[in-house]
Amino acid sequence: MRGRVNAGLIAGAVLVGIVVLAALVSFVWTPHDPTLVDASNKLREPGGGYLLGADKFGRDTFSQLMVGARTTLYVGIVAVGIAALIGTPLGVIAGMTPRGWLAELIMRVNDLVFAFPALLLAVMLGAVYGAGTLTAMIAIGVATVPAFARVARAATMQVMVTDYILAARAAGRRRAAIAVRHVLPNIGSMLIVQASVSFAIAILAEAALSFLGFGTRPPIPSWGRMLQESQELLFSTPRLALWPGLAIALAVLGFNLLGDGLRDYLDPKLRRIRAER
Amino acid sequence: MILYLLKRLAVLVASTAVAGVAVFAFMALLPGDPAEIALGVNATPEAVAALRERFGTDRPPLSQFADWFGGLIQGDFGTSYVTSSPIGPQIGDRLGVTAVLVLGGMVIALLIAVPAGTFAAVHHRNPLGVTISAASQVGIAIPAFLAGILLVFVFAVKAQALPSGGYVPIAEDPRAWLLGLLLPWLSLGLVQGAVLTRYVRSAVLDVMREDYLRTARAKGRGRMGALWRHGLRNASIPVVTVLGLQLATLLVGAVVVERVFVIPGLGDLLLNGVAGRDLLLVQGVVMVLVVAVLLINFVVDVTYAVLDPRLR
Amino acid sequence: MLSVEGLTVRADAVELVREVSFDIAPGERVGLIGESGSGKSLTALSLMGLLPEGVRASGTARLGERELVGVPEGRLKDLRGREVSMVFQEPMTALNPLMRVGAQVAEVMTLHGRSRAEARARAVELLGRVRLPRPEQLARSYPHQLSGGQRQRVMLAIALANEPGLLICDEPTTALDVTVQKQMLELIAEVAPALLFITHDLAVVAAVCERVLVMYGGRVVESGPIREVFARPRHRYTEGLLAASKLTPRGTRLPTIKGSVPAAGRFPDGCVFRNRCPYASEKCQTEPALTGDGHAYACWHPAD
Repeated sequence: MRGRVNAGLIAGAVLVGIVVLAALVSFVWTPHDPTLVDASNKLREPGGGYLLGADKFGRDTFSQLMVGARTTLYVGIVAVGIAALIGTPLGVIAGMTPRGWLAELIMRVNDLVFAFPALLLAVMLGAVYGAGTLTAMIAIGVATVPAFARVARAATMQVMVTDYILAARAAGRRRAAIAVRHVLPNIGSMLIVQASVSFAIAILAEAALSFLGFGTRPPIPSWGRMLQESQELLFSTPRLALWPGLAIALAVLGFNLLGDGLRDYLDPKLRRIRAER
Repeated sequence: MILYLLKRLAVLVASTAVAGVAVFAFMALLPGDPAEIALGVNATPEAVAALRERFGTDRPPLSQFADWFGGLIQGDFGTSYVTSSPIGPQIGDRLGVTAVLVLGGMVIALLIAVPAGTFAAVHHRNPLGVTISAASQVGIAIPAFLAGILLVFVFAVKAQALPSGGYVPIAEDPRAWLLGLLLPWLSLGLVQGAVLTRYVRSAVLDVMREDYLRTARAKGRGRMGALWRHGLRNASIPVVTVLGLQLATLLVGAVVVERVFVIPGLGDLLLNGVAGRDLLLVQGVVMVLVVAVLLINFVVDVTYAVLDPRLR
Repeated sequence: MLSVEGLTVRADAVELVREVSFDIAPGERVGLIGESGSGKSLTALSLMGLLPEGVRASGTARLGERELVGVPEGRLKDLRGREVSMVFQEPMTALNPLMRVGAQVAEVMTLHGRSRAEARARAVELLGRVRLPRPEQLARSYPHQLSGGQRQRVMLAIALANEPGLLICDEPTTALDVTVQKQMLELIAEVAPALLFITHDLAVVAAVCERVLVMYGGRVVESGPIREVFARPRHRYTEGLLAASKLTPRGTRLPTIKGSVPAAGRFPDGCVFRNRCPYASEKCQTEPALTGDGHAYACWHPAD
């Protein structure tokens, strides 16, 4: 049974759609070169081909935002991908044998990883390998694994007590077959919801890391670094902080709304399993 | 109850030990020899060897780890390879600043979330309740450092009412201390308050559907009376879980907010350590932050036991 | 004692209970039977003023001198737990898991004006009265330490604490083990002042009650002394219900009522049972009134 499409779902889809569209278009076209330093356009006011003005190096803010969307999505996709690929199997295993030693071990390690937030991991990784997009993505991804594992485990435990799984087990199907044929398709909707919520968190983490200088390196535009660069000019040119700030907030809002909306739409029954933040 | 606490305590100790191994192993991967880095490129091999011996980095990793971790247990974080000053006291000073920042943020978050979330749950069908839910959704989307920048813009740039950054120790000038912390507290508190509001709302909504609330009303309590007397304590159990997770998030949020407001806390120390390649300092700060998170989890577990007789 | 007149319960435009009227004399034990969806629980909840959000009751229900329906919550809550009490179906979730049992019993008394110390002492006394073993010790335990039957006894103690005029029990034994059921029923029959007992189980109603109301589709379709109604049902629904509950010799099919209970708001007009009734005729498109003295029924083609 599917729920109804709600306003939040639509709003979320629209916001996410805008970010995706901006990122895709930025591959083929931006109003200006977002990395072009041009002293003559220094702190240029909005207008005349510079829709949102230019920053202290004369770079076009709008173009930077477009390419920044690309950075954001890139980091989000890789980070959430890492988290899903590692977290889901672990969670399914733990959920299928909730009393086994393996499940216990998985959940304990999970709790331990939980004690290492993305930012700490990124700082440590950055200290060892030099900070950059890659270390940021890996750190965010690894830090998100526990959330995926927990949701996958909770959803699996619910699925495991349903009649069709009991029937499959009674029929002597192997565990791996049950996991692939019955469990995964049935927890899929929860994982999609989790992916959306995790994506929002990944965006926040990437922004924070870039803000601190542990994320995407210059000259590649990133919303977080745009904010950091704008901070010293907050007194004179606050719009430089406004636009990337708005971009981050709307993108995060979009993925959060999409996640909540999808949860209501895909599986009203499973609403009780909350996506982990 | 005692058995439960002992179990939790064992988990805490074991996790701390494993975390110690993880942090040490991770940092040991750092390319470059601290002694070489400290002395620069033109150092003689003899000088480097001598320094290595002094640092103890010439010994096998296992014995290095034993030294480091053994020192940690006694509160000794070692001596920085870079600045040659003991690390423990530095961390101690900064820890207090960060703790005040995080706890203040948490208090503000709770002051917002408990009334707002409860209200939104009780009035979940009317426009004001829905507005609160929507507002919290927007609040979640704003990272703490962005909130900080916005607050600086409004209160420091436009209104010129509060300082845009800096930190004055309370012993020097309590008023300046308080004024300086207001915006950082708000940056952390507003955002966490928004997150928490949603959890409080859904916890209260869940509790409102419970049979024992109907029982309470059948006894002669009004809607709000039943919720107050029987609902809030039950609702607080899931909220405490989230509160624990939030405190951990706040700790990390504080690292960024310290940067925004130029506050000399642990985050500032950590980032300086990374910038200065001060391996032992980074190791120490990371360890302190991780242990803080583990300790918070432990406190959450203990709180459960106090709240919920089923766990005793 | 209790006098209900034209009680109607609505959720928006949907009528869930329609024009229900009955009386309960002091000390009388009345059963309210019907399948799920018949409106029996809503009837009870409307007497307690505990209808779910968005559901409203109209009509009158008088308990002694006091009106129970259409009264503001502020006045009604003073009556709940004092003049009229209720025991619910699910004992496992009806008690607050974080509060000691004794305190939960005492609460209903302090709420209605007794001192704390007095309430506490009386709570222990009440736990003994519902035949819980070692009441002093039990008062200090938490709900999860008690069995379902014990918890339901605690609920009964709460309900009886202020000596209400009317006790309402909504399927109080359905969730209990069969062995525990019987003791519980005996206890209820023994301690209840006036009783409104809701169940779908005919045997249970026969064991506890003197009079019975049969509900279907939100209406009372038959009412009367239990012996008469059970020995000689007049409404075709009651007849079917009784036939379905009878033990049949092995090999013969259990007679059942054809079809299933429609969803709320989907009952036919006229006689609500006519779409499932083998005797239905043209005439049944008009709603039959509940008529008869003592043993009353609302049917155009009654059994004889």
